Amino acid sequence: MESPLFLPVLATCRLLLAWVHFPVPDGLLIDHQLTSPLTSYFRLKEGLWLYHHGVDPYVGGILKHSPLFLSLFSTVPLGRVAWALSDIVGAWALVRIWRSRQQLGQSRRDGLVGTAYLLNPYLLLPSLASSTSTFENAAVLLTLMFAAEGRPSLALLALALSTHLSLTTLLLVVPVLMLLATSPTSQLASPRLFGESYWKVLRYASEFVVYWFVLVCAASIMAGGVWNWMRESWGASLILPDLTPNPGFWWYFFTEMFDHFRPFFLMVFSTHLVIYVMPVCIKFQHDALYAAFLLLGILGAFKPYLTLADPGLFLSMFAVFPEIYPYLRHAIVTALLHAHASLLLPLFHALWVIEGRGNANFYYAASLVMGIAGGAGIVDACFAGMRIAVGSVPEAERGKWEVIQE
Amino acid sequence: MHWGGALFTLCLSASLAASYTNNVPSAISGERYNEDLFIRPLLDGRVATTFTFTTDLLEDVLRDSESSGQHYTLFPLTLGQILEEYSIAELHLTLNSGKWDYDHWGYPDDPSVGTGAELWAWMADGPSSTIDERWTGLRNALAGLFCASLGSLDMRRTSSPSTVFPISSSPSTPHALRYANLPSENVCTENLTPFVKLLPCKSRAGLATLLNPQRIFDADWHGLNIHLRSTEKGTELKLGVQAVFDPVRLSGGRRRDWSFRLLFDRVIHNSCSVAGSSVVRVQVPDGESHALSPTFVADDSAAAVYNLITQVPLDVSMSWPYEHTFQYPRVHQSRLVPLSVQRTLHGSSQIHGLLFIALTNNGQNDIVVGYFENLPALVTLWMHTMEIKVDGVKRDDLISNVTYHPHHVLANGQKSPSTFQATLTIPAASTLHLSMEVSRAFLKYTEHPPDAMRGWDLPPAILFPVCDPTMGICNMRNTSTDVRGRMYTPSLLIDLPTPDFSMPYNVIIFTCTLITLIFGSIFNLLTRSWVIVRVED
Repeated sequence: MESPLFLPVLATCRLLLAWVHFPVPDGLLIDHQLTSPLTSYFRLKEGLWLYHHGVDPYVGGILKHSPLFLSLFSTVPLGRVAWALSDIVGAWALVRIWRSRQQLGQSRRDGLVGTAYLLNPYLLLPSLASSTSTFENAAVLLTLMFAAEGRPSLALLALALSTHLSLTTLLLVVPVLMLLATSPTSQLASPRLFGESYWKVLRYASEFVVYWFVLVCAASIMAGGVWNWMRESWGASLILPDLTPNPGFWWYFFTEMFDHFRPFFLMVFSTHLVIYVMPVCIKFQHDALYAAFLLLGILGAFKPYLTLADPGLFLSMFAVFPEIYPYLRHAIVTALLHAHASLLLPLFHALWVIEGRGNANFYYAASLVMGIAGGAGIVDACFAGMRIAVGSVPEAERGKWEVIQE
Repeated sequence: MHWGGALFTLCLSASLAASYTNNVPSAISGERYNEDLFIRPLLDGRVATTFTFTTDLLEDVLRDSESSGQHYTLFPLTLGQILEEYSIAELHLTLNSGKWDYDHWGYPDDPSVGTGAELWAWMADGPSSTIDERWTGLRNALAGLFCASLGSLDMRRTSSPSTVFPISSSPSTPHALRYANLPSENVCTENLTPFVKLLPCKSRAGLATLLNPQRIFDADWHGLNIHLRSTEKGTELKLGVQAVFDPVRLSGGRRRDWSFRLLFDRVIHNSCSVAGSSVVRVQVPDGESHALSPTFVADDSAAAVYNLITQVPLDVSMSWPYEHTFQYPRVHQSRLVPLSVQRTLHGSSQIHGLLFIALTNNGQNDIVVGYFENLPALVTLWMHTMEIKVDGVKRDDLISNVTYHPHHVLANGQKSPSTFQATLTIPAASTLHLSMEVSRAFLKYTEHPPDAMRGWDLPPAILFPVCDPTMGICNMRNTSTDVRGRMYTPSLLIDLPTPDFSMPYNVIIFTCTLITLIFGSIFNLLTRSWVIVRVED
């Protein structure tokens, strides 16, 4: 794993997996754990069919992808190799993030960081299921990579792209702007106030808005209108028109919701996502990369249309922050909760809709376990990221002093 | 000589016509009423009966309320008011129960045999109220008139497939079509009672005497239909009842002999005096030793004809005296239609499946036929998975003119149905397999019906004759091996994945608790300050 050849070999293996006709079960493409209506390649293919047959693909609630995906897939015949390449780009970006955090040209830990992305089952399985979340994750990592390396234009363009592909990524705008203004190196142990000029941040923000508008215009030209695709693709994250099950909280809550409370709770759930941005960014103003990491954790637990790729990105990013490991309080419990959830989810899903022996509550219970696992991860990362600043109690003093929050 | 011959023919036809008609004037102030019962013994021992009650209004337009006070003599006033109110040019309503077996029963005498309720109307395009408002008013009015749940034929089930249901006349003003079907609607006595009230003699005289609800609704297949169309002469209203009886079942599984008494438990005692003609026609099976009583008057094209006006009381009976026990014919020898259709849903999962249509051409010529699906938003067709195969070989050349309209979201948040229409060519003596993947919707718990576990009925698909635009006619209609009229596949039952209906409060409580737990923990961590405390011994 420490050999410089390890990562290229792993990447080649990933490419080979796409190249050889590895028998992917048919059900994988429509598996509710791995693909959601927003990321399903099956729906994208249907959208392409409609587009080629002169029907507006954004009419029937079938296609919820960005028009950019539609134009990409209608011009370039992309196969499974595209997903493999996207995985490799993501892993490469994660390694580059790690390197710029350590201010190193190359390190012995590169292999481990790359492996954490390429061999994470939460990321590999959606990629094999041709979920477009693979591209979304790669775009997020590229954003963080360019921001960490101090390349504002590229970073802001990548940020505009990732928010375009998935609206909820808007949570990352503030930490990415802060990261552009500060350094990516680990400042967790030495918290200080955000000392950079706010004008600089504001300038980056306006540049981001310009890129964002350009992408919106491109997508609107592509889709032949503004409102249809926005309502179907971004609106889906806000009003949840499709109640397909997924490992997240939203679908069953709004399946069972009383009709007259639906708009209220939709507002509450959307606001709940945004409410974490400022507190996390203020508390971790000294380390914007860590704030972005925590917000990815929030998305990985509370996002509408959650798939396993979302918590997967958060879990893989743990590899970039080895300094917090000694301060994690319940890493084993979190890992076991994830193991528990990832076994229960497919099992109870099959029991409910395929076998017909269980009912929806089984799957809901499994999704609650998934939610607890996601929450445990964020809480632990949040604790460890602050605890590190207080420092460790020397060995000889253990038992006499305790670090707590009052 | 020439003139004499013509005069002779004229006298003969006049006397023949007079023998059919009553002494009552054939048209009462521009209205005419005829009734007809066609009985067809089927190969499998069943008997298909088709009642047709035709009222002609010999005027160009329906009478409006100002000019004549909407006074009708024979035409049903309640229906006339509805048609006038909503500017209906053509209206077809059918309420059927059962599955029409084309292979063994042949084409029905009235082509509208789709399971459940089916309503389509051509409405004049133009008046201030929009088409959709009038459509809503029309189906609510008809629901009230026929005591049927036609109000459920709302925009979630309404489409406008004008090539499948063409307008019969060619009007000068633009017209618009609305079509909806509801396969779960059952036809019952409560629909027959208001139906009979629309007839001039009700069920007291004439053929309508035979409409005994206890027998009609006991039949293997039964249905009511109302067809109203504009013709050159005026407006034609056809009220019909179709039923397929099984005398073999009624006789305890032995004989296929039938009579009015056996089928309807009634005989006709008197004729309807306002009827211009009142005829019972019985199709005589050829080459079989059957006996028909009483003796019939006229015989046209292999049908025995009884004139009700001269022959009452009447109890027609048909028997096969030399047949001790009825033998069911072998299935394969008796395909009565050139095209056999099967439509099934494959797959055991409640989320995804395969819609599979098998069309078998029984003849020796290629058949070109249109295919139409009108699917509510409970299922989504995945068009990119469509496959056409003949003998396991992909044949994409056999499908043409594919039009597909996915669901779209209506103003009230409901979804309109998706429609799929295509022209299929079925090669001679082979089976064409059309398959598409479908996925089933996840509904909110309030959208499920009270008996959610029963499942939902999917409307039948429709096969319709295709008109060749270059020839200007439905070219295949003339050949004997063609699809004569619309054909309906059986409806399908699908079970959607259901949520737990007792859980709303629990889900709200569990989910909110969990979110609050995580939210609270994070904000607890973020807001409290760190201290180092000395641990007391």
